[in-house]
Amino acid sequence: MKKIKIDLMSRIEGHGGILVEVDKNEVKDVKVNIYEGPRLIEQLLIGKDYNECLNIVPRICAICTLSHRYAATRAIEKCLGISVKKKVSLMRELMHLGEIIESNSLHVFILSLPDFFGYPSITEMLQEHEDIIMPGLKVKEFANFVMRKTSARMIHGENPVVGGFGKYATDTELNEIKRRSEELIPHMINIVEFFSTVKVPTFCQEEEDATFMCLDSGKEFGFVGDKVLISTGEKRDIEEYEKLTNERVVSHSFAKRSKYRDKTFTVGALARINLMGERLTGESSKYYRKMYNSKWKRNPLYNNHAQLLEILFGIKKIASIVDKIKHLKDPEIEKPKRKTGEATGAVEAPRGILYHHFALKNGFITKADIVTPTEQNLDEMEKSLRTTTETLLKDSKKDLEPKLEMVVRAYDPCISCSAHMVKVIH
Amino acid sequence: MKKKIGIYGFTGCSGDQLTIIHSEDKLISFFDRIEIVSFSMAKSDNEEGELDIAFIEGSITTEEQKKRIIEIRKRTGIMVGIGSCACFGGIQSMKLGEGGYRKRFEEVYGKTKITIDTAFESLPINEFVKVDYCIPGCPISAKQFFSCLTKLINDFRPVLYPFSVCTECKWRENLCLLTDKNLPCLGPVTRAGCGAVCPEHGIPCVGCWGPVDEANVGYEFKLLLKQGFSRKEIRKKFKMFGGKTAEELLRTLIAEKKKIKES
Repeated sequence: MKKIKIDLMSRIEGHGGILVEVDKNEVKDVKVNIYEGPRLIEQLLIGKDYNECLNIVPRICAICTLSHRYAATRAIEKCLGISVKKKVSLMRELMHLGEIIESNSLHVFILSLPDFFGYPSITEMLQEHEDIIMPGLKVKEFANFVMRKTSARMIHGENPVVGGFGKYATDTELNEIKRRSEELIPHMINIVEFFSTVKVPTFCQEEEDATFMCLDSGKEFGFVGDKVLISTGEKRDIEEYEKLTNERVVSHSFAKRSKYRDKTFTVGALARINLMGERLTGESSKYYRKMYNSKWKRNPLYNNHAQLLEILFGIKKIASIVDKIKHLKDPEIEKPKRKTGEATGAVEAPRGILYHHFALKNGFITKADIVTPTEQNLDEMEKSLRTTTETLLKDSKKDLEPKLEMVVRAYDPCISCSAHMVKVIH
Repeated sequence: MKKKIGIYGFTGCSGDQLTIIHSEDKLISFFDRIEIVSFSMAKSDNEEGELDIAFIEGSITTEEQKKRIIEIRKRTGIMVGIGSCACFGGIQSMKLGEGGYRKRFEEVYGKTKITIDTAFESLPINEFVKVDYCIPGCPISAKQFFSCLTKLINDFRPVLYPFSVCTECKWRENLCLLTDKNLPCLGPVTRAGCGAVCPEHGIPCVGCWGPVDEANVGYEFKLLLKQGFSRKEIRKKFKMFGGKTAEELLRTLIAEKKKIKES
């Protein structure tokens, strides 16, 4: 029995390892070990008021901080009977797009890209590929700027609250956001064109289409919705999230696992593009039609390509949102109509569907359940690792470790998030 | 001689490491003075040898992490905690002193035995090793971090602000949210360094830079009781980010009040 082991994966968020057991060229077991220290966050939420809840949940993860805040807000506002004005929805869309672009560009340019060229990090890549990396980092910087101007900080900004915002970005700041976004479009197009020529390895390619899930954003491509699209053709309500994820605890992980109808499934950029790519507009639609093919349903490495299309879409969308926001008055923070209720809120975090479910009594949390995207992907990740190992062993390849890590990295795992989605009933 | 730097993460959200990664343009300008030999969130070719400075994000919540932090301490000249998790224990330590950790763990994970590691209630890193300096924040301020890094590589001591967020708030000429808007702001008992960014947006400070030196916790209690919060709710707010330090301050406060009552 041979053990292929990676104790601690690098260039991912959080702490995880890989263990593959092989006997006579047959894969016996695959485990993605999650060592991430548990924090029992949902237990910490019980007894907090709904404002304090919004201080805590972003700290689940620094990369998806605003997505946690946004999903919690949507759930709590349903509980409290709050509906917000147009300017609030648009500002939330703006901040959320900022985060999607920030996370996607962090993943593609810093965490993932070195794998496609055999480098240990981007600093070594800079000399040869400066014309791709420098604009990529500029995109990330722009996204951080958007997050700072809408939420007050790059990470864990407290400006978005239940019912609205503490302060709104000024017209000058909004104009600056639009100006910077327009400057980046030609750079992003170059990057997308470059990526369409990069050779994508096939050692993790499956023989069947994977199952995908994402939130239905409506007519236009987007990242928010109350219905879940599944690649089986079904459409379900987010209130059914428990049936869609079927969490279970496993002994080798502080993160739980999910399955739908006993099958593994994927959420994230690749799921969104596979299910809703036709709804893209403008340049992003043009490149979607140019680059998309059936392999995107079978090879997780195309997640990077999907993320780039989303960045291109997001940058364009941000400019049009600025035009709409500028003419609207700053509304007061909406007050709750009641203090007791129970509801689910969901958004597409960068890595996929994020569910927040709360029960409130007199304004205090009595029940908290958070299901994060990475936890939904972990079983599929193990399946991909099995396929990768079997393919590489068949071709008598040695040194499987870097390729196994490359496959896990493609899913853009956010391990801090995955170790904290649990159910608490008080 | 370039200083050998290692950047490590334990239990937390990775926000402090991410703040450093997001400042890659500033970081690159240090490369003629420092060599980052280990930073596994950002690169794959990491060496684990002697270090001049180790930056540690995150609190300690498992046996493996305890072993790892002790091992890193053995081979580094200076150890610096970055972020409120490393410095105080983080939000995951807000129930310190209240008991019931095992019950809470079981509520979350049920009866399945997690064999990958043994977990315990979150503690800051200075519970296990000698920590030379702490740079608090949730997450840290990039400006503060690079200012501290500059001092350290020149063999100077980094110095944190010894005053509260109120000072920074007044520098920005803000109206006081406590006295003028009747909001539960923890500014007076929280260390400055964030630039009072939340009060600037009309949002009361939640204390994420941790308790300031000589925090007047007793008077903050009086102000929040007047706003209608109960003692239990005020303790909850103070412990949200203050971790072990907040817990100890509260215990001292309660002991002092007891002594005064009894005398």
